Amino acid sequence: MSFSFSQENLEKIAALKKRYPSPKALCLPCLWLVQYQEGYISLDAIDAISEQTTIPPMEVYRVATFYTMFHLEKREKLQVDVCKTLSCKLCGADDILQHLESKDVTINHVECLGSCGTAPVMQINDKNYENLTIEKVESILEELL
Amino acid sequence: MRECKIVSKKFHLPNSHTLSVARKNGGYEALEKLKEYSPTQIVAIIKASGLRGKGGGGASAGEKWELMPQNSEKPSFLVVNCDESEPGTFKDRQIISYDPHLLIEGIIITCYAIKAKQAYIYIRGEYKEYQDILQGAIDEAYGAGLLNACDITIHRGAGAYICGEKSALLESLEGKRGHPRLKPKQKEPEWYFGNPTLVNNVETIASVPFIVQNGAEAYRAFGTQKSPGTLLFAMSGHINTPGVYEAEFGTNMLEYIEQYGGGVKNGKKLKAVIPGGVSCGVLTAKECEGLTLDYEALRAVGSTLGTGGMIVMDADTSMPEVLKNILEFYHEESCGQCTPCREGSGWSDKIMKRVLDGEGSKEDLEKLFELADTMNGKTICVFAPSISIVLLSFLTKFRKEFEALVL
Amino acid sequence: MSRVVDIIIDGENYRAEENSLLIDLLIQEGIKVPYFCYHETLGADGNCRMCMVGIEGQKRPQIACDTLVKEGMVVNTKSDTIREVRKNILELELINHPVDCPTCDQAGECSLQDFYMEYGLHNSKITIAQKVKHDKAIDLGANVMLDQERCVLCARCTRFTAEITKTHELGIVGRGDDAKVTTMPGRTLENDYAMNVVDLCPVGALTSKDFRFAQRVWFLESSEGICHGCAKGCNIFIDHNKLKYKDDTIYRFRPRRNDAVNGFFICDAGRLSYKELQEMRQESATLHGREISQEAAKEAFHNLLLLHQNSIAVVIDANLYTEEIESIINFANTIDAKIYAPLDIYKDASFADEMLKSSMRAANYKTIENLGITTSTPQNATLIINCNHPQEFRADATINFFTHRRETQALTLPIAAYTESSGSLTNEDNITQYSKQAVFKNSPLPTISDYLQGLGYE
Repeated sequence: MSFSFSQENLEKIAALKKRYPSPKALCLPCLWLVQYQEGYISLDAIDAISEQTTIPPMEVYRVATFYTMFHLEKREKLQVDVCKTLSCKLCGADDILQHLESKDVTINHVECLGSCGTAPVMQINDKNYENLTIEKVESILEELL
Repeated sequence: MRECKIVSKKFHLPNSHTLSVARKNGGYEALEKLKEYSPTQIVAIIKASGLRGKGGGGASAGEKWELMPQNSEKPSFLVVNCDESEPGTFKDRQIISYDPHLLIEGIIITCYAIKAKQAYIYIRGEYKEYQDILQGAIDEAYGAGLLNACDITIHRGAGAYICGEKSALLESLEGKRGHPRLKPKQKEPEWYFGNPTLVNNVETIASVPFIVQNGAEAYRAFGTQKSPGTLLFAMSGHINTPGVYEAEFGTNMLEYIEQYGGGVKNGKKLKAVIPGGVSCGVLTAKECEGLTLDYEALRAVGSTLGTGGMIVMDADTSMPEVLKNILEFYHEESCGQCTPCREGSGWSDKIMKRVLDGEGSKEDLEKLFELADTMNGKTICVFAPSISIVLLSFLTKFRKEFEALVL
Repeated sequence: MSRVVDIIIDGENYRAEENSLLIDLLIQEGIKVPYFCYHETLGADGNCRMCMVGIEGQKRPQIACDTLVKEGMVVNTKSDTIREVRKNILELELINHPVDCPTCDQAGECSLQDFYMEYGLHNSKITIAQKVKHDKAIDLGANVMLDQERCVLCARCTRFTAEITKTHELGIVGRGDDAKVTTMPGRTLENDYAMNVVDLCPVGALTSKDFRFAQRVWFLESSEGICHGCAKGCNIFIDHNKLKYKDDTIYRFRPRRNDAVNGFFICDAGRLSYKELQEMRQESATLHGREISQEAAKEAFHNLLLLHQNSIAVVIDANLYTEEIESIINFANTIDAKIYAPLDIYKDASFADEMLKSSMRAANYKTIENLGITTSTPQNATLIINCNHPQEFRADATINFFTHRRETQALTLPIAAYTESSGSLTNEDNITQYSKQAVFKNSPLPTISDYLQGLGYE
């Protein structure tokens, strides 16, 4: 198992380097690139990021474990991030969560997604699905599964 | 209540995120003023306007800008805080999706004033959809030659509430974990890789074009003496028409809720309001009576205005459950650096769970008070003190509901 | 240089450099202040929040590790409020701690225990059974064991590998109360100073595999000594103990602070060198590989000296104390012997680094140089008296003074190791240090000068 950045990503990294005073700033951008390229962040990828950013691998690893949106293991099923924070809870997030239990998806209880005014909300593949109802969840999942 | 639209003027227009719509509706016109004013004059105008940071703290923007050196050997940077993660807050998101060019215009002016050549917009990872809209607008601005004097780079976060704290944000922007930094001993700018840096919230920067174009007095014509101007107040929770509606500081809270929010959902009675994101102390319906939406009024009732994102709760809401929900949030989001916060956030959450499970005791409630004290003012940043405020406000104002659970 | 200012701490006047760290002054003046994360070499990190003090004019208690000394500052370290604050934060440190002191090696030298005795002693209000579970007994490599549950996340160990060794093996991962110290998956702690993290750890999270379960620390006697691993002369504590019916035994070496020499640290090679000190010792006089009586040894010694008169060379080990070297020189002059101390054998470039490890693996070679002793190998001598020099020399006959057994047919006399005697050493930077006898054996072995005195040479 080894990792190398795609040519396209290497070009993106080179362009970004010009925009920051230190290559160290590219830690999060590189982690994102890896995650979009591979679906998760392997230890080999961490070594590759270390090379690009001049940050020791351990420090990259620490960063990857700090932010909840980075994943260090492969994720197989459809990932459904459901907001469980206050406004969503007040607007029925618990019902949505309960309904999702029966589906063949991985449910992630996440904190506030910034959709309090359009609660309840879930996020799938970077897209927000707002003002959820059971019926709406059904049709969204039907399309995605 | 008068309508006042400083930041949200173009929100309702179709395709308001595009350069052509922005330009047709006065976008980028404030840039003309840069021919007239020197950088220090712009700083002076911002200071005179009384513009206060709209990310939650409410500090004077002008005073912050004044800390930026005008003759620095090192490069200066502008960082726009779009890490909007405070539960109940979703206003900056409206700006970047409905009027991103207003933000870009504000950035161009601010960079001119503080002599920065590079601006970063640190955006929370969960806002990818809106980030794409903003990036589209930036690309358009580059195409139109608007970004010749400064570069704008979007920097995406990845799920960490604490990165909304400016020093944690800078750590994150430097490629590190989002740990807040020890506070400086004197007034000074922020530092990004050792370079002087200004960090401002999206809405703060988006307010700049209006002020520069119309003058400080035009801005002061809205709001109160000490809280001039407007804020993108917002409502969520048990409300008929939740959303973001700009209003001037000093607006009556209940009138606002009634007029824009259409009142409490299902015709129920109001029980409580968390005024500006969960980190502000909760207010009872009675405390909300006659209350105005400005920094001073909220402080006077022992809470804070925060981001102005109000969470409205009806009479049937269980306050212990609400508190538990908020404590879970803090437990999940503590960066883990300082002992009182790392351990206190988890412990209070666990105690509250026990209380809700019917296994709590009176001692548990006392322990929560004690924890509130230990977490207050003893950590690097204000995360733990926020937990304190939340704990104390819920436990004292709705004491009976909690005591009923431990009988 | 900053100016010196007056400050008041608990009603007493003190003088300190303006803008210096308040916690340094408190430590220096012996004013009790609890702390986990601060360390004089690693600096302030501000994470443990234990070193709270009251500063007049400040609404809230402040951490002393992030407070700069100012003219006229009035500090309070003992008020009820401060004690209460420290107590409450300590309680939080303990909520996810397993409190397994009876099986913890750190017991007796644990900051958590110490601070609990000072500030805690409370009936625990820790009512949550569900402590955060982490791994215990993780072998990090380099003789270091990690117990994540005992860890207070002070980050001293991670700052050590990041800032001192710059090897970056350790880090705190995760966040909130799920944060923990670890290496990267599948990787180990690998640097020549790794075991210093055991001393840096204020609690029992990092323990030495070498010392694990060997001794309760309160049974140990700590004597001050100088490491003989190389020419650096690192200051150490020799922790030893004489159990009933047993001999005085060394259980570990620990670094002893000396800012002019080694700061707070020592290398792992030096730290573990106590073992070979106690193994394979030459404990009695031997000839042709067989034990002989002291009288027989004495007689053989005199006979050899007589037989080889005017053709004797004395070879001195560059690890011997200066006092020993001097008495050997006197002896050599008395018997008209030539004196040598070949140094080449001690040179080991592969051992050296930028931190503490010297390429000269001889603790007192500087004295050899300073005294102008010939450093070539002895020539034309028919009898060589080897005073523990590591090299083997060819001659018709040899007399050895050895601390450790070697393959030899020659007359060999046992001598005390450096921990069993006292004396001075001059390190590579020309700093002379005195090392006191730490270990007192049931049957003590003589030093070379003791021996020579016994033979009638002063």
